[in-house]
Amino acid sequence: MRTARVLRPFGESPRLLRREGPERTDLWTETVGAPPAVYGERWIQSNGRDYRSFEPGRSKLAAAITRGWTGDLPRPGEQWLYLGAASGTTASHVADLLGPSGRVYAVEKSVRPFARLYALSNRWPNLLPILADAREPGRYSDLVPEVDGVYADIAQADQLTIVRRNAELFLRAAGSPLLIALKTASMGRDRAPAGHLARGEEALEGVVDLEPSVKLDPFHRAHYLLGGRARPALFGEGGPDTVRRRPGRSRGPRRR
Amino acid sequence: MPTAVVVGKGPRLFLVRPPPVEPAGFLWDADIERAASRRLGGRPEDLPVGLVTRLSELPSDVRVVTPDASLAESLTARARRAFSTPELSELRRARSALPSVEPETERDFVRAVARQALEKALAAPEEVLVTLAREEERIERALGREARAVEAFSQVPGSPLERHRATWEAARGALDAHHRRLLASLESDARGLLPNLSAVVGARVAARLLSAAGSLAALGRMAAPRLQLLGSRRRPSPERGPRYGLLYRADRMADLPVGRRGAYARSLAALASIAVRADASTRRDLSKALIARRDRRVADLRRSRR
Repeated sequence: MRTARVLRPFGESPRLLRREGPERTDLWTETVGAPPAVYGERWIQSNGRDYRSFEPGRSKLAAAITRGWTGDLPRPGEQWLYLGAASGTTASHVADLLGPSGRVYAVEKSVRPFARLYALSNRWPNLLPILADAREPGRYSDLVPEVDGVYADIAQADQLTIVRRNAELFLRAAGSPLLIALKTASMGRDRAPAGHLARGEEALEGVVDLEPSVKLDPFHRAHYLLGGRARPALFGEGGPDTVRRRPGRSRGPRRR
Repeated sequence: MPTAVVVGKGPRLFLVRPPPVEPAGFLWDADIERAASRRLGGRPEDLPVGLVTRLSELPSDVRVVTPDASLAESLTARARRAFSTPELSELRRARSALPSVEPETERDFVRAVARQALEKALAAPEEVLVTLAREEERIERALGREARAVEAFSQVPGSPLERHRATWEAARGALDAHHRRLLASLESDARGLLPNLSAVVGARVAARLLSAAGSLAALGRMAAPRLQLLGSRRRPSPERGPRYGLLYRADRMADLPVGRRGAYARSLAALASIAVRADASTRRDLSKALIARRDRRVADLRRSRR
């Protein structure tokens, strides 16, 4: 007997959906872009809308959601800064989550992945590609306005410093989310992944209201998603006032 | 007030300077610059570069659209955080009175900047060479597969594939011709960018080494053992590891008996590491000396037994 497999909303974001399967639950995003698939993900149509599967094995954000991330996610209509967009696998899904009225400013430094990201922006009208080094946010500060959230996936030893500088500069206000896909393998071999996570949490503790970090095993080895909402301390003196996010935070059900 | 501006289609863009806004008389960069440099003790060179130089970095014959309001918004956001002065809060108030920019205009602007940066980056000789080398490698693989496919034709008499033979050969010939042209341009590029390395190992192998290293800077930092094994697929090991990777197809390798090729690869890698340093940094021409040493080594290896 075949059970009906329907897309149901996941959490409170209307653009993030789940489909219960016999073995595991798939994640889907309602797409903003046009076909073909970006990285071989599945497309389905339902009620005249297009959905793309959001693969935890390919995207650290999907893995984090699957593993029970309780923090904020990109929500429709928001503007997000995406550091380390590479060829746009996750960035396209972030753009999907933000919907046609949102925007993602996707920063990537390497030329060849960026060429693919640029090509993707032809099909994703809310994806704005920026060829720049996230270490030098001053180089693109005239392209990026204040944003509602920052997502970072940078394989660099100083990734936390890079993200922090960008968040200080571009995040709209205290209370805005900051998500970091922490790649501990690029942070040195002087300690185990958990040690790097602890150090990362320590570094952010004063300036970010941290959500429980999520281990991305088995989808991505030695990776974590950490982050939360910015505290006023992130911006230092003369920073913007705290702004509460709109009611109806996107907290997905806690699952294991 | 006409603040929205037009984006031209195609590779050429059009720049319209933001019109002076109230209070009259200030332009965005001059103002921020003045306020910020005052704040920093009058040293304009301390300014974050992106704040004032983005538009001026563009070539003078290219004009670019700027979406004023979002530009103003991000500038004031920066200003608020980095330099909060009375002048700038004045500025921010003035800017916030601007109408918000059309999403389409902003999108076109960001993409136009991206496209320009991408074209510039891809036009660097190094990137061109890497791109061509990777394409050449793909075509060579395809041709290799096709050459194996021809055996399927010859070994089965009366094969139903026989009907398609003429089409197949024409297609293969065209790909072959394309490959030769690509290779010629690749080799001349490699001789230009990597003159010493091309002289020692041959232009095609030089291009492949660059493509495997990813960039000239990375190639220029490589030690000889790394170059020797670059492109090899087996796991390195002291006893049974590979002796050569891409260098297997280097010039003069074929002149040596198989048992001496590992030794040649080792010597060649040592010379190649000198060559890449010269190519990546000093740009001196060492090719004559390197070729002389290489050929002496080949002669030695051919004389010695084993």
